[in-house]
Amino acid sequence: MNKRHKTSRTPTNPWTRREFLIRSGALGVAGISLPALLAACGGGGGGSNALLFDNWPLYIDPSEDGLVGSVERFAAASGVDMSYVESYNDNDEYFAKIQPLLGADKRIEPDLIAPTFWMAGRLINLGWVDKLPLDKVPNKSNLEDNYVKPPWDPTGEYSLPWQAGTAGIAYNIDVTGRELKSTSELFDPAFKGKIGMLTEMRDTMGLILMSEGIDITTISSFEEAASAFEILERAKADGQIRAFTGNDYIDDLVSGNYAACVGWSGDVLQLGKDSPNIRFVVPEEGGTLWADVMVMPKGTENTDAVAKWLDFVYDPEQAAQITSYVQYFSPVKGVQEEVAKIDPELAENPLVFPDSATASRLKSWANLSEDVDAQFADAFSAIIGA
Amino acid sequence: MNSLRSRIARISLNVFAGLGLVYLFTPIFFIVLFSFNKPKGNYNIVWQEFTFDNWLDPFSQSSLTAALWTSLRISAAATLISTIFGSLIALALSRRAFKGSSVINLLLVLPLTTPEIVLGSSLATLFLNQTFVDFGSITVMIAHVMFQVSFVALTVRARIRGFDWTLEQAAADLGAKPWRTFRYVTFPLILPGVLAASLLAFALSIDDFIITFFNSGSTVTFPLQIYGAARVRIPPQINVLASMVLFFSVALLVLGTLSGQRSEAVKALKRSKDK
Amino acid sequence: MLARRADIVGLGALAVSASCLVALGTGWFQGTLNALVVLLLLIVVVGVLVLAAFGGPEARRLLAPYGLMKPGLLWMALFFLAPVWSLVRISLSTKESRFSVRYEFNWAWENYSRAFSDFGGQFQRAFLYSFIATILTIVIGYPIAYVIAFRGGRFKNFLLGLVVIPFFTSYLIRTIAWSTILADQGPLVSVLNKLGLVNVFEWLHIMDNGKLLNTPAAVIGGLTYNFLPFMLLPIYVSLEKIDQNLVNAAKDLYSTPTVAFRKVVLPLSIPGVFAGTLLTFIPAAGDFVNAQFLGNPNTTMIGNSIQDQFLRQNNYPVASAMSTVLMVSITALVLLYTKFFGTEKLV
Repeated sequence: MNKRHKTSRTPTNPWTRREFLIRSGALGVAGISLPALLAACGGGGGGSNALLFDNWPLYIDPSEDGLVGSVERFAAASGVDMSYVESYNDNDEYFAKIQPLLGADKRIEPDLIAPTFWMAGRLINLGWVDKLPLDKVPNKSNLEDNYVKPPWDPTGEYSLPWQAGTAGIAYNIDVTGRELKSTSELFDPAFKGKIGMLTEMRDTMGLILMSEGIDITTISSFEEAASAFEILERAKADGQIRAFTGNDYIDDLVSGNYAACVGWSGDVLQLGKDSPNIRFVVPEEGGTLWADVMVMPKGTENTDAVAKWLDFVYDPEQAAQITSYVQYFSPVKGVQEEVAKIDPELAENPLVFPDSATASRLKSWANLSEDVDAQFADAFSAIIGA
Repeated sequence: MNSLRSRIARISLNVFAGLGLVYLFTPIFFIVLFSFNKPKGNYNIVWQEFTFDNWLDPFSQSSLTAALWTSLRISAAATLISTIFGSLIALALSRRAFKGSSVINLLLVLPLTTPEIVLGSSLATLFLNQTFVDFGSITVMIAHVMFQVSFVALTVRARIRGFDWTLEQAAADLGAKPWRTFRYVTFPLILPGVLAASLLAFALSIDDFIITFFNSGSTVTFPLQIYGAARVRIPPQINVLASMVLFFSVALLVLGTLSGQRSEAVKALKRSKDK
Repeated sequence: MLARRADIVGLGALAVSASCLVALGTGWFQGTLNALVVLLLLIVVVGVLVLAAFGGPEARRLLAPYGLMKPGLLWMALFFLAPVWSLVRISLSTKESRFSVRYEFNWAWENYSRAFSDFGGQFQRAFLYSFIATILTIVIGYPIAYVIAFRGGRFKNFLLGLVVIPFFTSYLIRTIAWSTILADQGPLVSVLNKLGLVNVFEWLHIMDNGKLLNTPAAVIGGLTYNFLPFMLLPIYVSLEKIDQNLVNAAKDLYSTPTVAFRKVVLPLSIPGVFAGTLLTFIPAAGDFVNAQFLGNPNTTMIGNSIQDQFLRQNNYPVASAMSTVLMVSITALVLLYTKFFGTEKLV
């Protein structure tokens, strides 16, 4: 729990609406709230009143320091028996885990998972996810326009974004000794053996491709990317790259093992004022724009609970609570206004609410066909050397 | 001259062994140290300040505690099964040679001479190809029993190799019913070996990572939880639980040594009295 | 009739414990019911032990061994031999499509050529690193075992316990602790800096560009540390068995302790070194944990590749081919090793 976060979430006016909400939520956790009772009576259809959401770690506001986290607030308000687990660590690994089940027409345990957009696209193509109960989600109208019918989900029926964000350069200024601005600086021989890259192919390769002047929004063949893969291959062979990691890059960055690495915006912002030496920058050549989206694995029965949850997190007031903790881009309209009420400083941060200058540097990947995707994945896994 | 040289050799060897002990305990020291750390933010990797908080609340991480229980449940069941199977094999092998015993010996040694990753991945291919059981705690337990059986059988066999089987015959000749012979002759004789073997099997199972990793599905055992946590943040509670296990075993060791010395002292006293 | 009884005992034990296993594993029962299942299992066990040991004088003598071994061996057949078979089969199969879970067996030898062409370096490193680590465990473990066995006195058991205790903490936690110790701004590097030893370490290729962590040396060091007890304990056992009178007699005969050691103690402790080498080298060669936490992208071992191809890329055929090659080469090495060192029993 960092200080930035503490100050931002301690209300100055004790009787804001938000505070009231939290208190009533706390009441609901302690005993049984009226809405919970009503919800319990008003069941019927859509499976049992339970919900299991398997999400990425550190990706929601927890209950701590007297504040009630989103999961508990939702459970209290809706009466849904919500379980929230954080075992989604890596897209490929998760896919490998669910493939033997979903591929054999069996169900997996979670009712809702949050794969990254391209993985969601794969699951949709394979028919391994069900249509979301969007007719029971009135708040879906709050979805930001650029996520309506996105490339990975052309009909917009299977997915709703959880959070979005950007991959850029995270660096430890105590080690680098200077500010970094550009992806090409990751290949500076001065940082030999002190550079980290992500195992998430689209983020690592996205940055390198952009630094080579290749447009990832239109890329459609492996040949276009070959030169960027060569750069990565050479950097790895030269010992420039210390490790390819997932979420754990933050450890190496904070402890000074990394001078700089490819990282995700919110992770670095979450470190906040406790680690002023850890900085994040969207490289001048461009950063990737990605989204993790909520999908319902095939055969989920608890569709009513899923609908209630989706409606809950698409309420701007609730979404603002999540944003003020995770500090990623919210896909919900009106969140910036709500965040401004909690933490005016955060509402002005271009890494949380991109201004037009930042937004112009963010690019999202084209939808790769399955064959091309396989080529990219194979080339990348060959380099990361596992 | 010669004696000086040998004394130097002697001392340097002792020093080397002492340094070896220090080496063995270096990471342990850090594990215990960081159980008292008060981490800033989510990351328990840089020493910040001393606190007892983590020790006062070792079970605050519910996912960690749940994983520990899962591990205990799986390992207890797997150990029970493998102890039975392994001890039976050892009993059978230790009496007399019989047809096929060399093949069986080979079969018992094979899992030990196969890298864990081969055991884990091959078992996973077996489970992938069937529909009776999904990856989960049951497949983990099956895997654990598989490698435990060998360890138990070989440990028990080594312990009862010198057993004089004519004692059983003698008991029978003296009119003891088979049950009584087993209860009063065979069982007490093999029990220490069986207990030692089951402890070993339990220790191997509860700390197994590689084989479990391939066969766990969505089940999270304690080592898997640590592996998952290592990719995000290692809460100090992991260090606390690890330190607890450590202190517990040190206490057992010290108690064992003390009681051993006391019984030796008692014996020595008796001997001097006898004289 | 008695012959049949021994069979029935073995089979019954298998059936009941297997159903108990299913019950416990799938969590059909909770709380006390779960305990009851365990109890049932215990009762069966004790019953089986009694019956099997006392089937009847003559029939027992002939049939008991088979009956006793039946459950364990059936288990091993089903969950050790059968998997190896399926591993080899998948290593020669092709996936129907990229994300398919079905495989077609078609003698696809190309999986093996891919295993060698794409992952040859990982094979080499796995064998090289575990070879060096094995040598290091002998160098470190032998003197410690020697001191405990010959100079431990009444603290022998205590010292032995002390050596084993670090390995009561989880394997992963120990390895992660090493990554803290070896970190760039960690304690060890700063001590080396203060002592001015960094250049020496760089020259020895232990450090690379000021780093200890994420180097080949760190991976080998991790393997050495984690598998040290597997070397130390067998050596200790073989040293402990040596009759002290023999050593004294040798000292009288050869006059110098060094010669006495070389001519008496060392040859007698070779079986321990032999067993320790196998127990260290084999798990080290298949390990991926040390390379993952302490290595860099250029130090990955075959275990990392198998893990990645199997659990991230869903490429079961190539992963199985690599597993098979690892298994076959280890078995070949073990056979060679046993030939070379005579026909001592492995365990």
